[in-house]
Amino acid sequence: MKATLELINQMQADGVIENYAIGGAVGATFYLAPAATVDLDLFVTLPRSSGALVSLSAIYEYLKSRGGTEQDEYIVVKDWPVQFLTPANALQDEAVNKAISTSVEGVPTRVISAEHLVAIALETGRAKDYTRILQFVEQDAVDRGKLKDIVERHGLSRKWSQFEQRFLKGMR
Amino acid sequence: MSKPKFQASMAALSFSEKIKILEKLRDREKAIAAAGLRRRSKKVMADADRES
Repeated sequence: MKATLELINQMQADGVIENYAIGGAVGATFYLAPAATVDLDLFVTLPRSSGALVSLSAIYEYLKSRGGTEQDEYIVVKDWPVQFLTPANALQDEAVNKAISTSVEGVPTRVISAEHLVAIALETGRAKDYTRILQFVEQDAVDRGKLKDIVERHGLSRKWSQFEQRFLKGMR
Repeated sequence: MSKPKFQASMAALSFSEKIKILEKLRDREKAIAAAGLRRRSKKVMADADRES
């Protein structure tokens, strides 16, 4: 992971991406007990000069010229398959902008906040996303006040109420 | 140690330490997949279902 992040940081310094933040299971691991995953989800914002059409081709070209290999929806960077995701809406955009700075073995990086990870998981709504939300709640790793604010601002209040009704009854 | 206490102790590790654990878990997943153990165990369970 260290070498992977070093190359991602270099890519940012070279202007291929504007900013990035770790999401998905690896991002959740920042707050929770580690759970097995095979890939690294990176939300990236691109430089404004890259135009209205969002394309990850510059990222792929950059990484392939430095030893990266394409594998299904991933590009393997050093020894980690990385999935690059551009923010699809205001929630994901905010998640990248408000990500938390940290480091892995001395290499600086950024991780999406616990509350944004939960909101994105709620929005995505697959079974594994709900499982992750429950892990955040059970391990008391999410600030309910901050989450409520995010959920309300991004039109997810109804979904959250349904989730609470279905899974969190008696847990509060 | 209870499961919640174990989870709390794991959650309290540094991000670097957790990433090392993730990498070990990932390598184990890969080894299991490469050995075909998952496929075989699914087949064994499917065969057992058919027999019951």
